[in-house]
Amino acid sequence: MSVSRTGVSRSTRRGRRRSTGATVALYAGVLVFAIWVLLPVWYLVVSSLISAAQLAVKPFPIIPGSITLDNYLSVLTGSNGGKGIGSTDLGVRLLPAIGESFLVSTCLVVIDLLLAGCAAYALSRFPFRGARAFELSVIATRVVPAIAIIGPFFVAFRITGLLNTPWALVISYNVFTLPLAIMILKNYFDQLPRELEEAATIDGASRLRTLWSIIVPVAKPGLVAAGVLIFLEAWSEFFYSLVLTNQLTVTPLLAGFQSVQQFNWNALAAATVMSMIPPIVLVLFFQRHVVGALTAGIGK
Amino acid sequence: MAAPSARLGSLSGTNRAFGFRLALPAMLILLALLAVPTVLTVLYSVHDVPPNGAGLGPFVGLKNYAVVFASPVFWRSVQVTVTFSIGFVVLSTLIGLAMAMLLNQDFVGRGLARAMLIIPWATPWLVIGILWKWFADGSVGGLNAVLTQLHLLPAYQEFLSDPNWALPITILAAVWRQASFAGILLLAGLQTLPDELGEAAAIDGASLWQRFTLITIPWLRPVLITVTVLNVIYAFLQFDIVFAMTQGGPGDATQVISILIYRQLFGVTHIGLGSALAVILGVLALVGGLLIVKLLYRPEAVAA
Repeated sequence: MSVSRTGVSRSTRRGRRRSTGATVALYAGVLVFAIWVLLPVWYLVVSSLISAAQLAVKPFPIIPGSITLDNYLSVLTGSNGGKGIGSTDLGVRLLPAIGESFLVSTCLVVIDLLLAGCAAYALSRFPFRGARAFELSVIATRVVPAIAIIGPFFVAFRITGLLNTPWALVISYNVFTLPLAIMILKNYFDQLPRELEEAATIDGASRLRTLWSIIVPVAKPGLVAAGVLIFLEAWSEFFYSLVLTNQLTVTPLLAGFQSVQQFNWNALAAATVMSMIPPIVLVLFFQRHVVGALTAGIGK
Repeated sequence: MAAPSARLGSLSGTNRAFGFRLALPAMLILLALLAVPTVLTVLYSVHDVPPNGAGLGPFVGLKNYAVVFASPVFWRSVQVTVTFSIGFVVLSTLIGLAMAMLLNQDFVGRGLARAMLIIPWATPWLVIGILWKWFADGSVGGLNAVLTQLHLLPAYQEFLSDPNWALPITILAAVWRQASFAGILLLAGLQTLPDELGEAAAIDGASLWQRFTLITIPWLRPVLITVTVLNVIYAFLQFDIVFAMTQGGPGDATQVISILIYRQLFGVTHIGLGSALAVILGVLALVGGLLIVKLLYRPEAVAA
């Protein structure tokens, strides 16, 4: 109620006061902003929609005369429409890699929500001896360079035969996804009123049942936000996957393709667009939740 | 007064045990995945580890560190990392602040613009590296096309194979992503700024610039500190973008420390040296991490 009232008063106030000059400056700023964000993305999307012949023309056709879906067909089906350069190895491997990225990311969302949910709830409601030290070390993990711990992972996964499997990634990604989830969820649980548990205790519910049947349903927005951010981080990860697998997921596959097939930027652009769609759609869909958790999870 | 506190005491005892059990799986996993490999890497760094990684090899003390600190390649890499970090942190924060101020105004299409702000942040670092590598390409690149058509550039430029251009363009690509991150956080901070503060200042005759420096900036200070410290860490640990765009080249123009370590570990497989470098990078990042902890926990630390 009060929020909407101030919102209205603010917009009318600003609308009234802004001069023509300020309005022009504002929209000029918006235009610059739009160009800054969209120009590289537009370049990528156009590259994926034009033929190699169109790409070879200087200057680059910012507004192409004609577009084609051949590049997408070629990376999806493995055929290159008879006019691409080089092998279409990427086409055969792109969809499986996207599948592996989905598998790894989804496994991590499930595992980390469970583990981090329990740990964060404990930190928020039942602070044990050493809880503060644990929380500080969780924050400190954000600065451990992946490259500083990758060697032992490599050796351990080679011994256990997990090298080049999605499980190597499901295990190692916990290094960054688990602390992130704990921080976000701890913060979310802190904001929930304690009366929730007190009422359940009076009803005689056990602490675990209270967590499951009272807290989890109320904490859904926080869990969704943490889940989206875990998925995003896992999907985006490149270094562990580069070292621990043979281009199993999307990111090292794209990097590998780039260094092998220098000439087929069109196909690479199509594959790159496809690799961007899942995280961007997910974040835009849950925009409100995610931004809230992002600011709460790392700030104060 | 005594009775409830006694009951609370025993209750809090079982509560502590319950909390510990609840957090135990996560603690064990983080211990196994972070503490153990970290200790191993430190051990590697004081041994002459054989290239196949079988066993530690002979103990060499601090020899690997001595080799690193005596190496001009290392110091050149430090210089590149620091240059990258300064450019990255300053530009990301300033551009992010400008975007946040802009998107906090009322204008037609603001919702769309705020959604656009998310796109660079939601794009994987590696994909941003690939995208900008080609965007800055000397023959099919969009950057050259735009700059030459606007007559800002006389002729097509091979940005990424030019030692003078490679690092600035790499920084620009990283800034493109991270300015959005800063912008998202700063915009959220601006949205909590009460209108009354600005209105009161305006009535008192404060200029736009005075309101910005005396109200907005102090209000955003906690967010600005968080963003800056996080960006320092991101800058030091940056690998993906440089790997995708230049792999450290041309020559050593963009060889940040993480790329140097990668080459030591997986190029020439000098595990001892690479581990010593990794420990040095870890310590650098740890200093930043302690700074975060200090900043985040300052109010409570005073109380405790």
